[in-house]
Amino acid sequence: MPGSQGRKPGGGTDARRASAEVLGSERLPGDHQRLLLKAPQVARQAAPGQFVHIWCHPPDEIGRPPGSALLRRPYSISRLRPPDGVEILLRVRGIGGRILSQIPKGRLLDVIGPLGNGFRIRQSMRTAVIVAGGIGLAPVPFMIQALSSRLARVVLLAGAASDGKLPYRVEREPDKPASLPVLASLGAEVEFVSETVEGTLVSDLLEQRLDALDPDSDEVMAIGPRAMLKRLAAITEGRFSLQVSLEERMACGLGACRSCVVPAANGAGYKTVCRDGPVFYAHEVDWERLQP
Amino acid sequence: MSGPDLSVKIGAMAMNNPVMVASGIFGYGDEFRGLADYGELGALVLKTITREPRLGNPPACRTAETPAGIVNAIGLENVGLDAFLAEKLPAAMEYETNIVASIAGETPEEFADCARALDQTEVAAIELNISCPNVKKGGMAFGVDPEASAEVVAAVRAAAAKPIVAKLTPNVTDISSVAVACETAGADGVSLTNTFSAMVVDVERRCPLLAAGMGGLSGPAIRPAAVYRVYQVAQAVAIPVVGMGGIWNANDALEFILAGASAVAVGTVLYADPAAGNRVLAGIREYLDRHGLAKVSELVGSVSIPHTSG
Repeated sequence: MPGSQGRKPGGGTDARRASAEVLGSERLPGDHQRLLLKAPQVARQAAPGQFVHIWCHPPDEIGRPPGSALLRRPYSISRLRPPDGVEILLRVRGIGGRILSQIPKGRLLDVIGPLGNGFRIRQSMRTAVIVAGGIGLAPVPFMIQALSSRLARVVLLAGAASDGKLPYRVEREPDKPASLPVLASLGAEVEFVSETVEGTLVSDLLEQRLDALDPDSDEVMAIGPRAMLKRLAAITEGRFSLQVSLEERMACGLGACRSCVVPAANGAGYKTVCRDGPVFYAHEVDWERLQP
Repeated sequence: MSGPDLSVKIGAMAMNNPVMVASGIFGYGDEFRGLADYGELGALVLKTITREPRLGNPPACRTAETPAGIVNAIGLENVGLDAFLAEKLPAAMEYETNIVASIAGETPEEFADCARALDQTEVAAIELNISCPNVKKGGMAFGVDPEASAEVVAAVRAAAAKPIVAKLTPNVTDISSVAVACETAGADGVSLTNTFSAMVVDVERRCPLLAAGMGGLSGPAIRPAAVYRVYQVAQAVAIPVVGMGGIWNANDALEFILAGASAVAVGTVLYADPAAGNRVLAGIREYLDRHGLAKVSELVGSVSIPHTSG
């Protein structure tokens, strides 16, 4: 039973499974909930873009079959709170999210992670342009945290259908692009557009800036709806290295069950989002065959 | 270590205890490495392989969660026999317990080809996934027909000396007749149940949620139905029965054992609790101690059905 920090159930030696204490839980706009977990094993090893796989029920009830939310739920790591705090951002929608949003401070959660491959930071990289849409903003704080400490410049181009769908406050001042102050404060230049106010897609923002970027030292990292990722893949093809984070329904989270596969480029079969991804180089993905 | 005798034999495969990991859940074994002491379990059944690699079903929604279960339609995606032998099996063999290969094919010959190759390896046994379509008979699954099932078992029996376990589908009218046919054809054991055929409908899109249309239901939702089928089959055959279907804890496993299973397998639960097999094993041991039983075999099939009038 994963009852205490660091003790592994079933004699496993893998430090990725542990009980994590809920240090904080806070409702945010747009039906979002922020959960702060004490998870040293995740905080120590995590790369931005990786995820944790969370059992929604109390860890000491793992021996009782639940009627709902039988599977773990994958959540990308949203932000690190040193020394050992890990924040996730969930949507209070669906059964798993609703259960997790009601777990009070002080309770434990059975967490496996960090899992998957995160965003790669190349030696020669100077500028990272993060393009994020909607719920794709969840891992962006961690991305900015990790990138701003290593790169000269981090730019965030963020978009949403409307301001109200976002977990963050939008700041609008005359003659300036809209911003998300929480994310800007982590070390990124932020430009935000909503389809209802600005009427612009975030992919258009990237297109406008592409000529000013240097393909040798600048890289685009994108996360959000598939339609957005597809457009970005088309815009950057042959010009810029693009990393994308994909989402898919998962079961095991470990690459065993082959539930979360996406078509690989050049007919190379399927890749698992959970283990081969969730972050891929755009050229690894067959965008034609990728389901919308 | 003293304590109750948990050992079980299926043909020539000797297991230290009756808890196995079911095929399909555990991948090729390496994916779960470290998340529990899998070497402690009686046997690990790897993901089904076919002679040629298979891509499986289209990659849009292959698994859906349902009340107390999941419906999956992966479509036997696998690396094929050659890559399995070269890459996957050597890694799996590092676990210090019985490794069982699971095979499928569209013809008895395909099963036999896989079995012949596996007979030259260190696998402890071969499980036959006879739930896949029989191409020669219009795509009907081998496992729904006693004769077709027996044909597969006989073909494999002729090709391999390793213990053979036939994995039965519950999607039949009379599962016992299939089990008997497999036994007669030379199977050393039968395992059941495979998943129950199922469908989930996306009402907004007015189409099946799974890209393949239908899939197979597993998890606690099927457990009572699986226990009953194990009971029926155990009455009909003399070879060991491996019981599975929604086992979540030791109590569930004991239901199968009392109903007639010599061994049990955990599956879907591993997605929630990768250490579930170890948890089930500890619980079985505790039960035997508590009831003063020296051997797990004393429990097998010992459920007593009261005679009812009416």
